[in-house]
Amino acid sequence: MPSVDLQIPARAPFVGVVRLALASLARGAGLDEEKVDDLKIAVSEACATAVLLAEGSDPAPPIDVRWNDDGDRLTVEITDSAPRSDETADAGDSLSLSSRAVMSEALLRTLVHDYESTQTPEGTVTRLRIDR
Amino acid sequence: MELGLDVRKVDSRAVVDVKGEIDVYTAPKLREKLIELVTEGSYDVIVNLEGVDFLDSTGLGVLVGALKRVKAHDGSLALVCTQDKILKIFKITGLTKVFPIHETVEAAAGAVTS
Repeated sequence: MPSVDLQIPARAPFVGVVRLALASLARGAGLDEEKVDDLKIAVSEACATAVLLAEGSDPAPPIDVRWNDDGDRLTVEITDSAPRSDETADAGDSLSLSSRAVMSEALLRTLVHDYESTQTPEGTVTRLRIDR
Repeated sequence: MELGLDVRKVDSRAVVDVKGEIDVYTAPKLREKLIELVTEGSYDVIVNLEGVDFLDSTGLGVLVGALKRVKAHDGSLALVCTQDKILKIFKITGLTKVFPIHETVEAAAGAVTS
């Protein structure tokens, strides 16, 4: 299957669109429902981090999502340009971004076979890999 | 994407029946409802997650925030959940040690919580 590219604004209502699209692609690629659920969470975590960090940015920076199926493994790359310098700032009354980040990291590390996040000139690239 | 939130009373506890997906978009709605309950004096709260199809760390954060709020009033927050895919999220993040999780609302209402 060729790669599929999606782009959304880094705003909360659009995260569900990515989740829906990738779940459909994953089912089409033959993943079982447990792996589909795991992928949905991992993708949502990466996108939600970008959305939360982009709050206050106007216009919203884009989040680029690339799905690739090379046969043995499925990869999803999520690239965003949300600023990381405020990542540990307090996000509000009940939850700081830093404490959410800890839970998010735990989910990402557990739910996919490989996960890495790297800084590039284009922004932060989060790579998720799911083996068949 | 809609999040359904219905509030009812079971014994003296407020039960929030949640339906739909809890993510970065919908979690603020749940947070507002839980804050509203505590502000109104409901300090013993049960959040029923049986109708939840999806939960991520933003939803977990809201639940942790609500737990802190009710604890500040010597209250309690219990969860109802039997779905493996949702329980898995609590296990991975270690929150099964933080929240009492029950199989039914009745069991949660009847449980002695500290």
